[in-house]
Amino acid sequence: MEQQRPTGVEQEGLTTTETPAAPKVKAHQTPDDVIHLMEKDQTQDVDTLVPLPFPYEDWKDTPIPTLSDEQRSRFEVGPDGVSALQIPKPATEEEKEERVAQFLAGLAKLLDREDNWTFLQPLMLSLENCVKCQTCNDSCGIYTDSGRAEMYRPTFRGEVLRRIIDRYIKPGGGILPGLRGHDIKVDWNMIVNLAELSYRCTLCRRCAQACPIGVDNGLISREIRKLFSQELGIAMPELHTLGTVKQLKTGSSTGLNPAGVADVIEFAEEDIQEKAGLEVKIPFNKEGAEYLVMHNAGEFLSWPENLQAFVIILEKAGVSWTMASEPVGYDSVNYGLFYDDVQYSRIVLKHYGIAKSLGVKKILEGECGHAHKAAMPVADRLVPRDMFVPTESSLVLLEDIVMNDRIKLDPSRNDFPVTLHDPCNITRSMGIIQPQRNILKKICPQFREMTPHGVDNYCCGGGSGFAVGNSVNFPDWRTRVAGRMKFRQILNAFSDSIGPETNKYVCAPCSNCKGQLRDIIRYYEGWDRCRILYGGLVELIVNAMVDVPEGFLEWEFH
Amino acid sequence: MPTFTHGEVSIDVDEDGFMSEPDKWNETVAAAIATTEGVEGLTEEHWKVVNYLRDYYLKFGVAPMIRKLCKETGFKLNKIYELFPSGPAKGACKVAGLPKPTGCV
Repeated sequence: MEQQRPTGVEQEGLTTTETPAAPKVKAHQTPDDVIHLMEKDQTQDVDTLVPLPFPYEDWKDTPIPTLSDEQRSRFEVGPDGVSALQIPKPATEEEKEERVAQFLAGLAKLLDREDNWTFLQPLMLSLENCVKCQTCNDSCGIYTDSGRAEMYRPTFRGEVLRRIIDRYIKPGGGILPGLRGHDIKVDWNMIVNLAELSYRCTLCRRCAQACPIGVDNGLISREIRKLFSQELGIAMPELHTLGTVKQLKTGSSTGLNPAGVADVIEFAEEDIQEKAGLEVKIPFNKEGAEYLVMHNAGEFLSWPENLQAFVIILEKAGVSWTMASEPVGYDSVNYGLFYDDVQYSRIVLKHYGIAKSLGVKKILEGECGHAHKAAMPVADRLVPRDMFVPTESSLVLLEDIVMNDRIKLDPSRNDFPVTLHDPCNITRSMGIIQPQRNILKKICPQFREMTPHGVDNYCCGGGSGFAVGNSVNFPDWRTRVAGRMKFRQILNAFSDSIGPETNKYVCAPCSNCKGQLRDIIRYYEGWDRCRILYGGLVELIVNAMVDVPEGFLEWEFH
Repeated sequence: MPTFTHGEVSIDVDEDGFMSEPDKWNETVAAAIATTEGVEGLTEEHWKVVNYLRDYYLKFGVAPMIRKLCKETGFKLNKIYELFPSGPAKGACKVAGLPKPTGCV
């Protein structure tokens, strides 16, 4: 598969919006700077954010709201004044010490082969081999677009963790780090900051790709999250209590139970009849089908046209497929990927178990990036062979259907500017680059790439579950800081037709990315000012299908 | 857990003002929550949306898909934004006493 590596100016990717140099802080931190930074308040100032290109030169960001005193009396915030985790404040000093002891005991387990057989090897390779050259720094959109805030530097969390390990876990730790001139004292405040900062990295792994030796600081963030979740019960509520726990209890992270799914499906069948003139019964629990199709259930509720487009394509192309009505089997979400091995395993085994009981040949992942990674490369590493079910990306099947003319298409129906946002988990983590491009080049006459793209894409800023983080001031940080790079890329991709007189479409084949795109386009008023819409890939395919009446794609922002 | 108080109404809510115990909802509670959502008085159109959301939630345990909400109430999405400036998920569902939507929605 071709891996696209832009060169020269493109490599920087920011032709008209070059990230301003002149960092407010010195370019290279000394060991003591790192520790010092963990102790001070560094509220993100929106005036340091990278400016937006035309037509946003006069754009003024509203500040990220600060938490009320009442909220701050109940839970902790990160060094930037943002709370992703709502960590309850311990009532007493003893409780704080107890929590710190739990953290250190958990850290020892994280570094032990018995307790962390899953990711110990890549974790150690990354912790022990980083030479602190900082080559990765500028690959991180959160770091650059924040105005180069030190705490978001990709190496920062790993460096803090490394020092804690040197001091508290390694033999001789009481003496040697002091001699090296960078002692560290772990207290409650430090572990709160470390936990919060592990949720300021989207795990997009662009830094790992930039590293000359492949040090994966994204994995370090993920393993820090795991330590906090598995040992201290600290995790983003939307991922844990309202995510995996809810999914295992009700059947879906959305809370959809089987009766709710039946209602969604009935509605989809009616809609397909009305919009596509196709009478269809969506297959459920069909034993021995070739594909068990699994969607992120968020699609059912927020983007039902995605589910419907899949149905139309699979039916028209004559694919043998089914969906599953058993709880968890109708929701491909596996947020455990982002923060917890135990929750990950519970869900992936449930998915595979349902596929096995139906006797399907393969699972087909719909347009959801993290579900791809959870069910394919990570499952390859973690799931025993006898429990494994072969899994395929829908992008690959769709490429076969479109490129081999298994459905009739009229590209002139898609004659508007289209660009592609690459979901990190599908591109960088899996190398699926060309199928989605081949499709778009065939069906969208005005397709243009973002810069950079493919394996060099930037995260939407909603990765690793950030897009579902909707509490307190986290979404305000997510749109202004984490999502800024993506919005700049979108504006640049459409610079030839940026005005509101032209409808434009950002194709993002991933539910999580779509949630984030919706939120950044809304925050930056991209629909009202520039008529920028976002959506999936299958919607564009169906919009071009000759057998479907024109106008499947609705130019209404939602 | 934060408490939201308005007039006679006092209810437990999450950090973003969604009810923690949706079964304690009633029309007075709805009117009280509406004041936090930039809604000046609940009109018949507001109640149409709120009642539909409420009934759906009691039946299926979730908020309905937005498309269905629009279809069943006959309101276009921008009309729902006019009625509830924070939108169907953050605004209308909150007034209808639903817990905050979860998952990739």
